[in-house]
Amino acid sequence: MVKAVIIDDERNSRDIIALMLEKYCPFVEIAAMATDCADGIARIREHRPQLVFLDLEMPDGTGFDILAATQAELSFEAIFVTAFEKKFLQIIRLSEVELILKPVDKESLLQAVGTVVRRVEEKVVTRRYQVLMENFNSQQHHHWQVIIADKDNQEQVIFLGEIEFFESADDQAVFYLRDGRAVAAAGSFRYYLELFSGLRFYQLNNTQIVRLSAVARLSGDGARAVLQNGQTLDISERRKKELLTRLHGEH
Amino acid sequence: MLLCCCTAAITFATNRSELPDTLTIEPSAAPVAIDLRPYVGSIEDATGRLTIDAATQLPFYLNSQLFHAAPRNNSKPNNCWIKLNIKNPGSTNASWLLFTGWHDFMYWYEQDPGKAPSLLVQTGLMLDRGGVERWNNYAFVADIPAHHTRTFYLHIINKSFNENPFEPTLYNSSAFVKFQNAQVEGYRRESVVILVLLGMLLVILGISIINYIQLPDRSYLYFAIYVLGLILFFALRLESKPYQLSFFHRWPMLKYYWDIPGLLFCFYLMYLLFGNAFLNLKERYPFMERVFTWVAAVVGGLILICIYLIAAEQYHLPTIIYGYVYFGTLVPLLAIFIALARRSQHHPLVKFFLFGSVCLYLACLGSFLIHVRPLGLVGALGELSAPTILLIGGILLQAFFVLAGLSYRNKLVHMERTRTQEMLIKQLNKNKELQRKLNEQLEELVKEQTTEILRKKQELEEQRKIQLETEYVKKLTEIELKAIRAQINPHFIFNCLNSIQLFVMQRDFEFAQKYLSDFSFLIRKTLDFSRRNFISLADEITYLNTYLGLERMRFENRMEYEVIVDPEIATAELEIPAMLLQPYVENAVKHGMTNPRQTLGKLSIRFTQIEPDMLECIVEDNGIGITRARALRSLPKHHQSSGMEISQNRADLLNKMYNTEIQIEVIDKSVEQECNSGTLIRILIPQL
Repeated sequence: MVKAVIIDDERNSRDIIALMLEKYCPFVEIAAMATDCADGIARIREHRPQLVFLDLEMPDGTGFDILAATQAELSFEAIFVTAFEKKFLQIIRLSEVELILKPVDKESLLQAVGTVVRRVEEKVVTRRYQVLMENFNSQQHHHWQVIIADKDNQEQVIFLGEIEFFESADDQAVFYLRDGRAVAAAGSFRYYLELFSGLRFYQLNNTQIVRLSAVARLSGDGARAVLQNGQTLDISERRKKELLTRLHGEH
Repeated sequence: MLLCCCTAAITFATNRSELPDTLTIEPSAAPVAIDLRPYVGSIEDATGRLTIDAATQLPFYLNSQLFHAAPRNNSKPNNCWIKLNIKNPGSTNASWLLFTGWHDFMYWYEQDPGKAPSLLVQTGLMLDRGGVERWNNYAFVADIPAHHTRTFYLHIINKSFNENPFEPTLYNSSAFVKFQNAQVEGYRRESVVILVLLGMLLVILGISIINYIQLPDRSYLYFAIYVLGLILFFALRLESKPYQLSFFHRWPMLKYYWDIPGLLFCFYLMYLLFGNAFLNLKERYPFMERVFTWVAAVVGGLILICIYLIAAEQYHLPTIIYGYVYFGTLVPLLAIFIALARRSQHHPLVKFFLFGSVCLYLACLGSFLIHVRPLGLVGALGELSAPTILLIGGILLQAFFVLAGLSYRNKLVHMERTRTQEMLIKQLNKNKELQRKLNEQLEELVKEQTTEILRKKQELEEQRKIQLETEYVKKLTEIELKAIRAQINPHFIFNCLNSIQLFVMQRDFEFAQKYLSDFSFLIRKTLDFSRRNFISLADEITYLNTYLGLERMRFENRMEYEVIVDPEIATAELEIPAMLLQPYVENAVKHGMTNPRQTLGKLSIRFTQIEPDMLECIVEDNGIGITRARALRSLPKHHQSSGMEISQNRADLLNKMYNTEIQIEVIDKSVEQECNSGTLIRILIPQL
């Protein structure tokens, strides 16, 4: 059994999660429910759960505050439950922390709970909550970090500013870093393509995505992007124009 | 050319039958004039190289054909020697005078027996430059001592073909005086006529010059030059009138130089130029003008040729040239006269010119015909302009006609000038009028343009206004969109949906349905209101009630709310800006629930008509108060978004757009009273 605590300021929200867990995830035991941050922190300390369902915004604080207060002493997996939060969505996902959107549907609940329960069972040491907090407190995208599970299922923490570009290799994403390292991710290229959208990255062609500020210049005919480390990447014809506007905005 | 044809050898006259006798004559007191023809032997020297010494060695024969009483054309230069032996049988010295006529060069030699001949006198028309007394030189003195015989030689050269009467006559002094008187008398008539003519021509010249000074018209100048040429020509004619006063005797050759060239100059060159200028042929008859100019140029050339020929002592050639010119132009001149007459029938100037010209033409012709009889056709040519009465009359008539013409021309010019002046004045007046009109038009234009500019300015301002309005509308739309997002807080939406889901799962279908319909109503109204700037207060109240109802359900009745409307307010008619209150209400809900000291959030919304045209809305909660709420903001600054801010912006924009004064006041109740807590929003909406 996995011990869980639900923290949400709305009763309806707590009830529905509890109801659905009871119905679909019988292996999760709801130890307690809390209505705000203070209550939540107290419950966590009391029950030492393995899993916490966290509301993002509550009257006296946020889910991040709870994490910040408890992560040092306790280690538990968190699943964020939120109605609508575009901004935090990205940093949560970059940190590979699970997130469920309201209204909660069965599949996402199962998937999130499944993932988290697996982590709990495997007892993997993770930095993801630390990374999440760091991302949360950082304002600049370049200082954000991304957690990439590599092929050996090792957790790699990489600053976005470190990534020169990444490409698709047999549908898996391979990241090339500023220090010359290449990180082959376990996730698909498509997954990372989606994850990195909205960040300052640009897809040069079907298989490569570059960090815009890593582009030093374009070759004379505009067919290739020259990176700061001297590497050149092809630019597909139809993406040239947009690349120029994006680069212009970047510099 | 004739000279070239002459043989180089000395030829003698055909009649060389006899040698002349020696004239034996007593000195006599009675007037005696002896015809010397029977006593004079002669030699004709075609080469002109015979010297006196050579001539004395040659035999002199009688040749009566050499002599003639009237002027004669020899068709060649005459270079002859005559020899005269006079014997004085008397006891006293005899002094005789030999007169042969007026010739070009005459050299008088005396030969004492056994001695070489000596030159006593030389004279001649081309040689002698003395005054009136020079004419006496033509009577050569033959002094013969008593009982002596003397031989005299006279060398005569007539270079011009026309020779004056040539009759050797010996006079004693008293007879010569008689002869002299007769000559003086005889030539006086001609010279007086010439002098009179000169006087009149001088007057005409004076008039012309004065006129020219007054009115610098080229025709006057040409006419003056023409008259001057004539004056010179006739004055020089005096030179060959024996015993008459003359002006240019110091230059005996001048009369030859200004004979034929003078004729050509006056009657052709100047006349043509004058005609050109006088008749304005350039404008009136360009073809004629060209003809005149060309002919004048040719004549100018001929004049130069003639002067050259005279300098080369070919005196007959200018005469021939003149002959050709004269006969050559006789008919063309007539044709020109007719053409001019026909061309410019109605022009009085041409009439004047024509009359004058015809007078001259006829006079010349008449004069020529008079001379043909004594001199023959060719000889008469030289005398074409000999000052006969006829010719003089013709010239004077012509001059008068031309003068009259010039006067008329003056008049025309004057009239033209007057007309031009009148036209100028008219034009000036017209110009003035035009200027005035132009000024008026300009003023009009300036006025129009000023109006136009003002209009444009206005238009521009309007456009700017419109643009500003558009911008406002755009901004408003943007802010409205933001407002929608702010009001329909996604949290609210999804939380509502979450609640509905819960009710469904709990099988509380009735409640789920109520919740769903309220939620739908709210969403529908939100979408509806967001398109409008103003909604009725009634609509706003319904909306707020629905919204608050849903919120209360969400928060498990942890909150209470009331909406109080002043009964005086006609809620259906009163209009307030749409979506202005909602963010404040939402904030109040949120804050009302976050006060740890108050378990029950209390929310109060009040609408009051504080002034006839002023609506007051108050949104009050019992939460922690705006100041603390802000201080306690759970999220980092960069993650915040404020619906209240949006509302304030919207109010500002509406104020600008509708020129109204919506005021929003945010009051933290704890600031006023320590025991109190919560926020009070006071919105004043003026009624339009």
